[in-house]
Amino acid sequence: MTPTAPELLHGCVAALATPPAPEEMGAFFAGKVAVAALLNTFAAQECATGSAVRVWENAALRTLLDDAAEAGDGDYSLAALDAANAELRRRLIRLHAAAEAAGDTALDRRILALYREMATRRMLHLPTAG
Amino acid sequence: MSIGEALAAYLTAFWGASVTVENLTRIPGGAIRETYSFDAVKTGGERRGLILRRDPTGSLIDTDRTTEFLAYQSFQGLAPVPEPIVLEAECGPLERPFFIMSRVDGGTASSPFAPDPYAPHAEVLGRELFAILGRIAGADPSAMPIARAFTAPALDACWSRELDYWEEVILRDELHPQPIVRAALRRLRRNPPPPAQKLSVVHGDYRSGNFLHDGQGRVLAILDWEMAHLGDPLEDLAWCLDPLWSHFDDSRAAGTLPTAEAIRIWKAESGLTVDPKAFAWWRLFNSVKGQGIWTTSAKTFAEGGHDLVLGFSGLYTARRHDQIIADQLERLVVEEGWA
Repeated sequence: MTPTAPELLHGCVAALATPPAPEEMGAFFAGKVAVAALLNTFAAQECATGSAVRVWENAALRTLLDDAAEAGDGDYSLAALDAANAELRRRLIRLHAAAEAAGDTALDRRILALYREMATRRMLHLPTAG
Repeated sequence: MSIGEALAAYLTAFWGASVTVENLTRIPGGAIRETYSFDAVKTGGERRGLILRRDPTGSLIDTDRTTEFLAYQSFQGLAPVPEPIVLEAECGPLERPFFIMSRVDGGTASSPFAPDPYAPHAEVLGRELFAILGRIAGADPSAMPIARAFTAPALDACWSRELDYWEEVILRDELHPQPIVRAALRRLRRNPPPPAQKLSVVHGDYRSGNFLHDGQGRVLAILDWEMAHLGDPLEDLAWCLDPLWSHFDDSRAAGTLPTAEAIRIWKAESGLTVDPKAFAWWRLFNSVKGQGIWTTSAKTFAEGGHDLVLGFSGLYTARRHDQIIADQLERLVVEEGWA
């Protein structure tokens, strides 16, 4: 998934390490610091739960795709889980389009329900919004 | 030469009178154009508060500064907008194209993700917000300056032109496969809306956070018209009512007043109707359009664009829109019978 937690943190470092021009001091720089703080919060959430969310989603997709050949995730780094997830999602896109074309209502609705679950589990939370 | 010195030199030549620039400060929030506030002081002491909008080196979406400038020209007297002063399309004194407009003082633009930012004047503010949107929708664009910038789509092609554009953006910029928005794209194409009732100027980003208000329930200025175009007036209404802009309270339109009341005001001001089937299409489309914007922002950020707003948009708002789209898709298919 993009941006990844490392990309978020590297972006914060790069943005905050750049000395602001005189006209960027004040509200603009304060705003930049506030967004950096938010991105750090999101990176923390990804570090805390990102692997579990990806392992769940990959397992759910393998079940849906009826993929007996796939043993599951062996490397639990976020990068490896994302790489496996990308391939599974590509296959899901093809499967869903085929189900729609075939009029397979049961599979279509099963996939729609899975989308809702996937999106809910991926949600991040703002510090003030819960 | 600093930005302030370049601005002073430019305005001195533009007005034919010596100008100094004071209180130059960059304003946060815009992820599309760099925005600066400053005072232009002419010899003799005449002082004018102005805003500089300069093209970015990298941005969320392809936007045309000319569109925004022409929109401000078009809605003078029809909606609260800043006065456009000058448009510079060449890479001149400020190194990138820019335009200058009047500054509207005394207001604030609330964060679209702040809980209940308009209390205790939310309902009063909402009535004005949706009345203004109704006036924009009801206006005849044919004689407006902004009409020069676009080829008018046929009424039955408004939806497909927008869908084609955003589908191309999503497919072009997608870094990680997005099955939810892909499914929505297919469903939108299979279940098209009826033709637009009329052709309107569509603001393109009319929502909470893109207007100035005085904290007492009055809208001072509608901003950020860079995505304006000609199209179906329901597009703007649906975007403004997208759950992403609801301040975490889906019962209220853009964090202001009950949604049904917002729609009633829009209909009364515009003289238009809201066909439920058409509106359902435009609501899902707008969530897809949002995902298109966030997809591009994620790509730009991942490629080293260090505007942190791009990182926020590419991550948080993208995931919220995935959830919003998934909810809509399931409801439209299971409850509304979409093919």
